[in-house]
This record gives sequence, C-alpha cells and structure tokens, in this order.
Amino acid sequence: MISYLLRRILQLLPVLLIASVLVWGMIYAVPGNPVAVMVGENASAEQVAAETARLGLDRPVAVQYAAWLGSALRGDLGASIHSREPVLKLIGERLPATLQLAALATLLALALGIPVALAGAVAPNSWLDRLLSGWSALALGVPTFWLGILLILLFAVELRWLPSASGYVAFWDAPLQTLRNTALPALTLAVYVSGIFARFLRASLITELNADYVRTARAKGLPERTVVMRHALRNALLPFITIVGIMTASFIGGAVVTESVFTYPGIGRLLIQAISSRDYPLIQGCILVILGIYVAINVVVDLVYAYVDPRIEYS
Amino acid sequence: MKVDPVLSVRGLQVSFAGAEGPVPAVRGVDLDVWPDEVLGIVGESGSGKSVTALAIAGLLAGNAQVRGSVFVDGQDVVRASPDELRRLRAERIGFIFQDPTTTLNPLMTVGRQVTEGQVAAGRLARGEAGARAAALLREVDIADPVGRAGQYPHQFSGGMRQRAVIAMAMAGRPRLIIADEPTTALDVTVQAQILSVLARRQAETGAAVILITHDLGVVAEVAHRVAVMYGGRVVETGPVRDIFRNPRHPYTAALLNSIPRLDRADSRLDPIPGQPPMPAELPSGCAFEPRCALGRGQLVCRASDPPLEPQGPAQRAACHFAGEAAAPVRAAARAAEPRPEPTAEPLLIVDDLRVHYPIRAGVLRRTVGHVRAVDGVSLSVRPGETVSLVGESGCGKTTTGRAVMGLVKTAGGRILFDGQALGGLGPAGWRKARRHMQYIFQDPYSSLNPVKPVGEVVAEPLRIHGVYEALGGARYVAGLFERVGLSPRVMERYPREFSGGQKQRIGIARALALQPRLLILDEPVAALDVSIQAQIVNLLQDLQQDLGLAYLFIAHDLSVVRHISDRVAVMYLGRIVEEGPKDAIYERPMHPYTQSLLSAVPTPDPDARRHRIVLEGEIPNPASPPTGCTFHPRCFRADERCAREAPAFVPVPGEATRAACHYPGPLAGAPAGEATSLEAAS
Amino acid sequence: MRLPRRILAFAGRLLSQPGPLASVLFLVGLALLAAFADRLGIDPLAQDIAASLEGPSAAHWFGTDELGRDIGARVIHGARTSLITAAGAVLIAGAVGVPIGLVAGFFGGWRDAALMRAVDVLMALPGILLAMALIAVIGRSQSAALVAVGITGIPSFARVTRAQVLSLRKRDFVTAVEAFGGTPGYNMFRTVLPNAWSPILVQVVVLSSVAILLEAALAFLGVGIPPPTPSWGEMLRTGKSYLHDAPHYAVLPGLVLTVTILAFDTLGRGMTRLLEDRDSGASGLKLEQASR
Ligand code: SF4
Ligand code: SF4
Repeated sequence: MISYLLRRILQLLPVLLIASVLVWGMIYAVPGNPVAVMVGENASAEQVAAETARLGLDRPVAVQYAAWLGSALRGDLGASIHSREPVLKLIGERLPATLQLAALATLLALALGIPVALAGAVAPNSWLDRLLSGWSALALGVPTFWLGILLILLFAVELRWLPSASGYVAFWDAPLQTLRNTALPALTLAVYVSGIFARFLRASLITELNADYVRTARAKGLPERTVVMRHALRNALLPFITIVGIMTASFIGGAVVTESVFTYPGIGRLLIQAISSRDYPLIQGCILVILGIYVAINVVVDLVYAYVDPRIEYS
Repeated sequence: MKVDPVLSVRGLQVSFAGAEGPVPAVRGVDLDVWPDEVLGIVGESGSGKSVTALAIAGLLAGNAQVRGSVFVDGQDVVRASPDELRRLRAERIGFIFQDPTTTLNPLMTVGRQVTEGQVAAGRLARGEAGARAAALLREVDIADPVGRAGQYPHQFSGGMRQRAVIAMAMAGRPRLIIADEPTTALDVTVQAQILSVLARRQAETGAAVILITHDLGVVAEVAHRVAVMYGGRVVETGPVRDIFRNPRHPYTAALLNSIPRLDRADSRLDPIPGQPPMPAELPSGCAFEPRCALGRGQLVCRASDPPLEPQGPAQRAACHFAGEAAAPVRAAARAAEPRPEPTAEPLLIVDDLRVHYPIRAGVLRRTVGHVRAVDGVSLSVRPGETVSLVGESGCGKTTTGRAVMGLVKTAGGRILFDGQALGGLGPAGWRKARRHMQYIFQDPYSSLNPVKPVGEVVAEPLRIHGVYEALGGARYVAGLFERVGLSPRVMERYPREFSGGQKQRIGIARALALQPRLLILDEPVAALDVSIQAQIVNLLQDLQQDLGLAYLFIAHDLSVVRHISDRVAVMYLGRIVEEGPKDAIYERPMHPYTQSLLSAVPTPDPDARRHRIVLEGEIPNPASPPTGCTFHPRCFRADERCAREAPAFVPVPGEATRAACHYPGPLAGAPAGEATSLEAAS
Repeated sequence: MRLPRRILAFAGRLLSQPGPLASVLFLVGLALLAAFADRLGIDPLAQDIAASLEGPSAAHWFGTDELGRDIGARVIHGARTSLITAAGAVLIAGAVGVPIGLVAGFFGGWRDAALMRAVDVLMALPGILLAMALIAVIGRSQSAALVAVGITGIPSFARVTRAQVLSLRKRDFVTAVEAFGGTPGYNMFRTVLPNAWSPILVQVVVLSSVAILLEAALAFLGVGIPPPTPSWGEMLRTGKSYLHDAPHYAVLPGLVLTVTILAFDTLGRGMTRLLEDRDSGASGLKLEQASR
C-alpha cells in the first residue's frame, strides 16, 4: 500500500513540475518587458536594469528557473509588487478563510446531495426520481454568481437575516459569527456542487443496484434497506470519493466567483486582485499554493481509497 | 409419490414491459420438484429458463408481470408480501448464480457474506456467525476455512468463489436450491469439482435442486428429471434417461442430434435450421414450427400451440405429433469420409514460439519478471488440415493464435508461413502476409464494425489491399455472402440487425474475402447457442473442403474439437503437453492432463455416468508457475522427479502422440477405481 | 451518405421528447435573435440617463440600466457574445482535445503518458483560474476570452475521447482491421473515430454550457470581454451594485443565462440517455437486466 501511494505521488510530481515551469514562465509570455511591468510604468531605464539584475533575469533561463524553484520550495515566493509584503504572508492571511469555506461547502453539498441521490436511485424514473433529477439539473445550471445575488436579495436585502458581504473570523473565536458570515457563500457553492454529487452518485448507485452481487444479497433474504445501504451504497461511494476530492480541491481558488459575489476574503479574490493589478509574484504564489493543495487533496483521496478498498493492497 | 413437492409451479407467465407492448418471456410453465431430487432445466437463450428461475425466487424486477402460482414448501411466492418473500429466501430457498466473479460483493469478507442472510433473518447469532461461516466453507471443501472466511472475494479463485456461493446458498439449510448456469463461467476441470460438490451437498441435505443449464452433458450427468424449455414453455419433461433415450418432442430430438459428442466421431452434424425465437416475435401456434422438420408447414402446428401432454408413464411433451418425433435417427451417422492424408509441406510452422508479458511492480513500475503466456510452442499446419489448440483459460491458446497473426509481440521462436519467416517482417511485409492468413473472432457481437453496413464490412479487407475492383467488386462480395449462406440482399443492413450466428457468418465471409489459405479460428462457436453451433461447424467444414483451407482451430470445447480436427494439441500453462492425431488423443491419451481433461467433460448420455478424475486445485498463476513439470501439483502420477525436472516434449514410444511427461501412458487398468480413490482424496 | 441518415434518425428520437425539444426551440430562438439583433431596431448602446434603472415596462421589457440603456436589447446582444464565445471555445477545445485523446488512447504507451500528463496540468487548476491566468498573460479581449475558455475545455474532450477510444481499442472489430492488414492510421481514423462520435457530440453540448457559464463568470469578475460590448456576466456585475434599487437589473439577465445553461444541459442529458438505451438495446432484449 505504501508503494501504491508513493507511485501515485510520483505520478503527480511531473504535473506539478510542468505546472511550475508554466507558472514561472508566464511572466515571459506577457507582451512587453516583464521587468518594466513589474517595476511600474514610470520607471527609468536604470531602475529596470537594476531590477533585472536583482531578479537575476540576466542569467541563463535554466539557472533562473532553478533559483526560482529553489526559493519557492524554501517558502520564499517573493514579495508583492504592490504592497511589497511577502507573498507567503499575504496568502497565509487568506488561506484559513478559504479552507473554512471549502470545508463548510463540502459538508453542506454532501448533506444535500447524498439523500437526493439515494432517494432517486432506489426508484429510478419514478416521479420522485424525475423531480430530484430536475432539482439536480437546476442546482447545476444556475450560475453561482446569479444564485449568490438571489440569495443576497432574499436573505440580506429582503429579510435582513444575514450579511451580504462577509469578513473572515476564525471559527474558534466566534463560531456563530463565522457561520453567519460563511452561510451564504457556502450555501451558494454547496447548491451547485450538490447537483454534481447527486447526479454522479445516483448514476453509480443505479449501476451498483443492478450488479449481480446485489441480486445475490436480495436472494439471501436481506431487507432492502440492508441491500441498499450495506451493499450497493458502499460500492457506489468508492468512485464518489474521487469526485468529492476534486470538488473540494476546486473550492480552493476555484470559488473566486462566489468569493467576489460576497466579497469574501479568500485566496480566490486575492488572485483576482493580483491579476487586475498585474502583481506577478503574487499571481505565481497564489497559483503555486493552489496547485500544492490540489496535489495534497489528491494524495488524501488516494489514502482514503487505499483504506476503504480491500483490493488495492494487492493490485 | 406420497411426499408433497417442495416446489410446485402452475401456469407461470412472466412478461416484461417492452416498447411495443408486453414481451412474454415465460408463457405457462408447470413444474414440480420433490425433495432429494435434481430437476435439470435445459434451453437456449430466450427460452425463458432463467426468468423462470428468478420468478420462483421472487427475484424479478418491478417491470416484470408475473401470473400463475408458485408454491415453495406450501408458501405462495407470487402473492407473498415483501417480508414473507424475504423470510422465504432466507429460510427455504438458496440461489446459486452464474458468474462467480460478480456475484460476491468485493468490499465484504466472504465469511460475512456467507452468513449475512441468516444473521439478518435472526436465525444466527452475530457472535456465532464467524464459526458458522467457517463450517459452511469447510463443507464445500475450501481449505483453511477459518482463514478464508476473513478474506475478500478478490483473494479467491473462480472455483473457490463458486464454492463460497454454494456455501452461501446452503447457509439456511434451504429445502430448495436453484442453480442458474452454475458452471458456465468455469473451466471444465473446475466445473467437474463444482458439480461434484453440489451433488454431494444435495445428497447430504436432501434438498430439492433446480439446475438450469444449456449444457446437455451437465444435465445428463447430474439431473434426475429434465424439463426442456423452448420459446417460454416447457416443451418436454420426464426422467433423464427417457429424455435422452427416447425424446418425444422434435426439438429435444433435434437438439440431441445437433451437438457434437465427445464419445462419437461423426463426420457431419445435423443442425437445427433457423434460430431460437426472440420473446418479442414468437410465431403463432407452436413456437418451434419454423424450425421443425416434422411440423413445418403443417396447418395444425401453425394454428395452435400444443399442450403439454403425457407420453408414456412419466414423460410429457408439447407436440401435435409427439409420437412421431421419437427415435432420434442419427441421420448424420454417415461414415466419416476418409480425408486425404495430408502429405504436403506444412503451410504454417510455429517453432518454439514464446510470448512474454512483463510483470511490473514497485514504486517505479519496473519490470520484475515475465508471465510466460506462451512458453515454447511448436506446431505445424498443412494445407487442407485442421489443427486444434485446446486447453483451459489462461493456457495461452488464444495468445498463440494472435502471435501467429502478428497481433502480439513475440519474445522468441520462429513463425514460418509458406516457407517464409514472419518474424523479421516490416509493416509492408506483414500486410502482404496477412492476405493469406485470416482471423475469425470468438465474439460475433464485437467483431463487426457497428457503423458500417455488413456489405462494407466484408468489402473492407479488399479495399484496404486495393483489390476490390480487381476481384470483381460488389458482385464478388455478393458471392461471398452466398458462400456463407446469407442472401446478398442483406448487404445494406447494419450488424446489429443480425443474430449471433448470422454475424459469425458475416465474420467468416470477411475472412474469406482475400482468399486466404489459412484461417485462425479463435473459439468461433463458443458464444453461440447450441443449435446454432452445428450450423457454423458444418459451414466451416464445407468451406474447408471446397477451398482447401487450413485451419488453426482454438477452442476449449473438447467435443467440438473432436468433431472438427485432424490433429489436436493440448495446452497447459503456455506449453503443449500432448499432441497427436485426433483419434489417438481422444481414444488413447498419454498425458495425465489430457486424461483428466477428457474425463471431466460431461457426456450427454445418462448411462455413461462415470467416475471422473476430479483434478484438485485450479490452474496456477502463470506469473509464478510450479517448478519442474508445471502440472505436478495437480497430477495424479506426479513424484518428486516431476517437481524437479521439466519433462521434454517427445514422441511416446509405440504411440501416435507426442507428450511432455516423465511417465506417459494410457490410463491404467481400472480407471474407475483409480478415479474413485482420487475423488475420495480430494 | 449513410451517416447523415443515422444522425437524422437520432435527432428525430431526441426531439420526440419534450425536454430536449423545448431546449432546442429555445436555443434556436436565442441564436436567431442574436444573429439578427442588428435588424430588430433595438440599440444596446443608446443611453437615456433620464430613464435609468427603470423596472420592466412596455417600452423596456427588461427595464433599463444605470445609463438608461435597454436591458432587453443588451441581453439579446449579449447572447451573441455568449454564443460566439461558446462556439469558438468549443471548436478550439475539440480541435485540440479530440486528436490528443485519439492518439493517446489508440497508441497508448509513452505517447499516452506524455499527452495525458500534459492534460493533467491543465486540470490541476480549476477552469476559471486557468482562464483568468491565461487572460492575465494574453490581455483582455473578446478573442482572449474565447481562447482562454477554449483551452480550459481541452481536458474534457481529451479524456472523453481517450476513454472511448480505449474501450473501442479492445473490441474485436478494431483488432480485425489490424488482422487483415489495415494501417494504424486507417484504423484510427476510419474505424475507431467513426465509432467514437457519440460521446464527443454529447461533450460538445455539455461544454457549450460550460463555456457560456465561464465566459459570463469572467465578465462578472471583470476580466472577460471588455465593455461596452454587452455581455451577460458584465450586466450581472454592474447589476449587483444596484440590488437595492433595481433588482431586475441583475435578476433578469441572470435568468436568461440560467435558462440557456439549463437548455444545453437538458439536451446533453437527453442525448446521453438515448445513447445509453441504444447501447444496452444492441445486445438484444436483456432480460437478465430485468432481474433484481
Ligand atoms: S407441434 Fe408441430 S411444429 Fe410443433 S414441434 Fe410438434 S410437429 Fe413440430
Ligand atoms: S511429468 Fe509428472 S507431473 Fe508432469 S504430467 Fe507427467 S507424471 Fe504428471
């Protein structure tokens, strides 16, 4: 099993490596002199030259990359052009908020999605199933930013129950405040993802419910509840783990839209700000951190897999 | 009989909702099964045999309409509430399914699955479940039952899984056991094991058993009574001996005539024309009428479906002319036409062929070893000759065929076609060589391109080789269709509009298009219904005679092989263990594996029930084959020399075959005695 | 020759279901409106500050925006932006992704490993981030949005195609072509590809909705197609500032966007269901499946 995990990590390494080259190289793809962009439009030629030397941009390309990667691995992602603050520190300030939102949204999505999938799959094509499938389609189809707007209209503008914009408070400091702040963005994300969850799990549950071993279970005289929960659902949840992992990973950074609807201080909005101000070190830093978390979640998914699927140890 | 039947079915009808109204799958079936009795239900695909079995256990899906009555142990299944049905299944019915690779839940230990139903029904305390599971597994001869109970299905071999399924079916000491094609997915030597375990457990528990199968041999071997199903009805039923000796229904008689037999060497089979009816498009009147030699065209047969009526003391048949159907005239008992002794130079020579697959392991997926899928195979095929490769799954027979065709990479050895070595050929050379060698696939459903009309499918090789016009274009292709017994008018249709047998004919037409001299046939009839197999086998024989083709025939069915071959090579774990003229191999096998294999094949003759050599264990993992003679762990003649030293493949002195065995020889004196002791030992 | 007839039959069966039929009608209607937007006598750019932020009325069905422009007109012109971006993006994604999947699946080995690793790189970032990063590099314009959205779609095409090719590769009719001497190129383009179309087609529909959504999201974030070109996302972005006074401003364009996405989704699901039915129906009646 250790070797299985190591192998999966080794598979992810080239992805990370290529991605890092691309992230590093994106500065060079920018039209015009990247240093000029970085130093600012009004900089003098000397300033540009000095900055070029400081960044080591006059050295061979491979050396530059190695140096950049080396310091990135040591945790030095450079400093923001704008605020002159270390990139890592800026990201570190935003990360807890993002993680908190991702966790809450995932939990909510599971709570919304799994029952919908179960209820639909046990009676495929029944009126209930059609209704729930329609709901999933709606959940998937409504753009998060529009749903966010509708939720704000309802809960913040009309009912005035919840804030329309939310700051970040550490959960342990003020749990209730946190929930109030995170409720709407988390719900917005969760509705969308619950649609994905429900649709995927329903399909895989239906496949499993038609499998031979389920027929065997029924032939043994097991109650239908046991057949569904103990046999079919467990098998259907296996491939589902991957989907949950992918979706959770996509909340890290991928929730930019939701974050900006609710002006939520997550890493996604940091990235937008960086992009609109052309703050390249910050852009690179954000993307690297998001990639790192993506890889980490992938590894966690594999760990869970290895734990729940008895076949993996031996394959 | 004084005792009440365990199962009593009356007027069972099952239909499924279809696009154009309900589709009748079962149309009025009556059955009785008494305690301590095995009822065999035989039928081809679409005969309704499996649906009947599922209906008896109440396992049909919600879209099935069930009418009639099914009483198990006095309890009505059709009208039972879900709760009653569950209790019935937990306490009185055991079900054994076909494919042991999919019938067990991969995520649950085998032991838990075996007893789970009893625990859920409250008939077994949770704390005792472990011990009970081990006991049940012991009863089906699983070694180390305690350890095995804690393992997962993927750690079991196919045969062991099926034993576990039997243990599971037996867990509630049911009065009725339904086995739906329980050995179809298994190798013949494993089938023999499973059938004997099933028979023993049946005798020990006195349960009533329904055994559903398409294999007449299996029925003849284990059933007491037989019901033959066709088109959703029982067309004939009676004691096994009567059915096989004196069939009263034309279908039963024709079926018995159409199958190739291990114990006979006829030159020609007597196929049933046409194909089994689809439940959606049954003919009116007698369902067998379009294929019946006796009733075809008879008004009464077209007009009314005959009822199942007594024929003699214990037999019943559903035929207007039941009396006349008797006497299975083996019309085909023509003497084997003497084949010209092939003296010509071999067309194909395979010399020491090796195919290895890498085994990768570890973090870096490095190659740590090789599976020797084919490990030094040598054979030759002369023009006009049929050489068969037989063996169980994983023996390397298909890989050998594919290697000859250049579809897999070889690791060593030479392949000569018409004196030319194929090994060093570049792509262009292979293209040329392939004009003369063609391949016919096992699965007719997957071997034809579904988006092309079949005329195009057959013409495709011609177009690829740029000879379409030269050979005569559409006219030539039409000729090919006629050649394989299909009307050229169907050339516009798509593959999905054809039945399995017709598809296989199209596959043969395509293989003939380039006028090859050698056909490699990979299990060409294995996927077809029994009554269709004979049609294809006959077609292949006719083609060989007319066109002088050489066949390399790859199969696991020893009866078909006996029928079609001139010479036979038996493979085991990547090697040929015995090779020789057909009659020598079948009448006087020298190698212990050949002997066991032949004795494991059930014969469709209830009087020929013999003691089998039941081989222990299953085929070892080819990745780590046993030392010395790879057969030694299962061989009844093995000694320590066999474990040490691999035998050479040499002619057996004074015999017609060559064998790879230290101690070749005919089965000693009283095979029965020897076999019995072996069986007892296993 | 033959293919069109098969496609027509498929379309016929698809449109005999109410959901897909309604979806197609809506999408065709939208496309027509977008195509002839200039001749409808509505101007998305005409300002009338006096009549700004008015609710829906007979003169302005969808109300007016902060500059007094007709929101309905802007929605129709926005549809053009949306559909063009989606079409272009799907074209790019398919043109790159399908060949990648085809080659990777057909040849396997190192080609497969290399190509799929490259695809994995594109998958490692959520689509919206990837598009944003690309726009950050190439600058903000209509074609930038189109290309960026297209690139994010490459992985799905590559993976869907590869999965289909892999399963076809194992089928005997593909081996058969090899056995009677067809070259790999012939096999790949003449045998495998014609059998792989259906999932790719479904993917076209699915990705169209993803592309529309992505384009709108980019505009919403202010990195999409630059104003004053009307765009649904841009309207939502501005509309969000006027939630208190003019909720219709954000709600109505969002509604049209949502219905468009749902229409594509319904169509895609209808196609998938039909294809599944066809595939399972191919092997006869499948009574086995009827058991439970
Ligand atoms: S009833 Fe007629 S058609 Fe049917 S089996 Fe008897 S003779 Fe043949
Ligand atoms: S060599 Fe030994 S083990 Fe092998 S078949 Fe002959 S007798 Fe059996």
